[in-house]
Amino acid sequence: MTTYLSQILGKPVWDADGQRVGRCADVLVAEAAQGFPSLRAIALRDGDKPHLIDGEAIAWLTPSIILNTSRPPAYPLRGDELSLAHQVLDRQIVDTEGRRLVRVNDLQLARVSANGAHFRLIGVDVGTLGMLRRLGIERWVLGLLRLLRRKPPEAIIPWSDVAPLEADRPIRLRVSFEKISRLHPADIADIIEELDRPTGEALLHTLDTEIIADTMQEIEPELQATMLGTLPPEQAADVLEEMGPDDAADLLADLLPEHRSRLLELMEAEDAVDVKKLLTYPEDTAGGIMTTEFATIPLGLTVGQALDYLRRSPEAREDEALHYVYVVDESRRLQGVITVRELVLSAPEAAIREVMQPDFVTVDPLKPQREVARMVAKYNLLAIPVVSVDNALQGIVTVDDAIDAIIPTAWKKRLPRIF
Amino acid sequence: MTLRQRLRPIALRILFLLGFIGPGLITASAGNDAPGIATYSMAGSFYGYGLLWVLAWAALGAVVLLEMAARMGAATGKGLTELIRERFGMRTTFFVMLSLILANLGTTAAQFAGVASSAELFGISRYVAIPLCAAAVWFLVLRGSYSRVEKVLLFLTLYSVTYVVTAFLAKPPWDQVLRQTLVPAAHLNTDYLLAALATVGTTVTPWACAYMQASIADKGISPIEYPYTRIDVVLGLIVSSAVAALIVISAAATLHASGIRVETAQQAAMALEPFAGNWARHLFSVGLLGASLLAASVLPLATTYAVCEVLGWERGIDRSMQDAPLFYGLYTVLIVLSALIVLIPGLPLFSLMWLSQVLNAVLLPIIVVLMLCLANDRRLMGTWHNRRLTNLLAVLLAVAIAVATGALLISALR
Repeated sequence: MTTYLSQILGKPVWDADGQRVGRCADVLVAEAAQGFPSLRAIALRDGDKPHLIDGEAIAWLTPSIILNTSRPPAYPLRGDELSLAHQVLDRQIVDTEGRRLVRVNDLQLARVSANGAHFRLIGVDVGTLGMLRRLGIERWVLGLLRLLRRKPPEAIIPWSDVAPLEADRPIRLRVSFEKISRLHPADIADIIEELDRPTGEALLHTLDTEIIADTMQEIEPELQATMLGTLPPEQAADVLEEMGPDDAADLLADLLPEHRSRLLELMEAEDAVDVKKLLTYPEDTAGGIMTTEFATIPLGLTVGQALDYLRRSPEAREDEALHYVYVVDESRRLQGVITVRELVLSAPEAAIREVMQPDFVTVDPLKPQREVARMVAKYNLLAIPVVSVDNALQGIVTVDDAIDAIIPTAWKKRLPRIF
Repeated sequence: MTLRQRLRPIALRILFLLGFIGPGLITASAGNDAPGIATYSMAGSFYGYGLLWVLAWAALGAVVLLEMAARMGAATGKGLTELIRERFGMRTTFFVMLSLILANLGTTAAQFAGVASSAELFGISRYVAIPLCAAAVWFLVLRGSYSRVEKVLLFLTLYSVTYVVTAFLAKPPWDQVLRQTLVPAAHLNTDYLLAALATVGTTVTPWACAYMQASIADKGISPIEYPYTRIDVVLGLIVSSAVAALIVISAAATLHASGIRVETAQQAAMALEPFAGNWARHLFSVGLLGASLLAASVLPLATTYAVCEVLGWERGIDRSMQDAPLFYGLYTVLIVLSALIVLIPGLPLFSLMWLSQVLNAVLLPIIVVLMLCLANDRRLMGTWHNRRLTNLLAVLLAVAIAVATGALLISALR
């Protein structure tokens, strides 16, 4: 037997003797770690003062709220309750299954008999029917739909897939934020962009540094700089270190010079050096979008030796994609390129010199972004090396960064600026 | 971004305002679109300088309300409609959104009326111009090439600067101007009340409050920065109100002085003759066309965004029509209905332009009440809650409008 919060709020509450004890003003549920929270208490408003009644005293929620006793026990607040009317209803929450922000139109409660808890919060209604129910016209619309022989649209999200965002103290949202941190960084970034600024910042601050770094990269550039500014400087520097140097350089380029140099100082020396080098190139050139994380091997090895070398190479560990391995001489001049596929499939005794590709495509650091993208597309590459005039390897442009240049800039999602 | 980085654009804007350099962006918000020009021209031509005191108080009301909205946006980070939904529930929200849609529908119809007037001043029938422009607006905005067109239209709106010059060229009796601005003189007949309400409704609209709060919330203003934002908002309003007053004065000095009660855009254009001579008509219509097209493009879209956002419907131009049917549907309905209203045969375009603004004024008290409840809530606003003076002025405005509306209904029903 399920009922909706909108059908409970504001309704009179009767005790076992048939006396009216007040009107239901709110419903408090427990914040369960998993699954569906149990109903802890209802808040009654009798005149002016609201007081809480233990959920154990409730016999029925529909069609009327009837208690099972004539002296309902008061409920002392324990501090881990979620107030449905004030903190969930009409607020934005995260639908972790659908990976988006939704607004709560109504809440679904169900009667269960297991484990002594009588009622549980089971779902969130985010659809139009929920909205119509709040306006009091759901029955008519349902009748109309039945006449037209159409199924009413279902839009109930199970509570286990949902992460509420509002509470008196952020600590109470630990479970919520844990659920959200498991989403893909691109989805977290979308959610943060759509939330109001204070909630978005609070959400970002609860994530681990690594996840913050991944998420930051996906947030729209203007917001990135602002969000980074809200982190404490040491953590901001950590985040920048976690990001690839190319993304860190892009972010730093948007900051004020004093802020930028302060963060660069706080970063670890090697990362800072890489980032500074990338910052010297204009943003829309190969140098501006390349990364300095790539794997190299020296000349003169066999395939087997090369694989050993890569396993022991910290450089290779830094290269997150590792599509290609670059063969360089002592002056870091590019001699050849091998795909990891070739390395894996070739005989271990084969010489790298035989297996590698000596004719390869390169770009210089000042080549415009669009040109680079075109070349990546033309030659079906996953990454293209960037070399200086003497053929020394400066960095690589990976296909995902090259694509960003071709995708047209998205329309602003928010209100138009004029007016 | 550091404090200085964020303050720089505001500081530059303030410099512009103080030095009157580059008035374009500022006067673009000065009501030089169809409802604005029509209302202020009407006020000047019907009553001479007699409505200036209403304009002054309306401007004060605008400052109070829009500052409140900006402060709420900065304190909560949320938009007005979102706060209304979270605090007052679904029914109130629905009612408010319906009012906003109605008021904006009226204003959009007024914009299209402006477009039609301009077209007719150039000899093009409204039955040709309106469907063309409505379709053009719909396509341009939804297909995204709007930003290019925006720059052109924005440039055209500079024509309101000519009112500034005209007002001085026409040599109005400045002592009389001052006196009638400072001394209220109300007449309780239907026409006067309509004109007064229209003047208020053009100067401060419910939509402007919602939009202001949403813009400020979007920018993420912190408590340290807010005083500068406040100066920015207030100065902007003062300038735009001054321009509005100058439009009234221009119309009063030229039209009212010649005994013309303006009823068409052509007559309204004559107010610019001291400045532009025979070119007044053309200058007026080109500018009116630009400003009205701009507003007709933006207002329905912004309204649709706001409605979909608070009701939780999928929205966004980057979505396809199947993904966001209610968004595209609502926007299309707004454009089509506004255009149809204007195409009603025999509809007096000029009257539509300013009468639609009465609706804005009448619906304002509702918004004021809700805003006052929110802005005085200490749990919501912390130390940024309303001071007593703000409350007093806002209540005064709401009561004055309610009384005027009541008087209007009584005198109209008599």
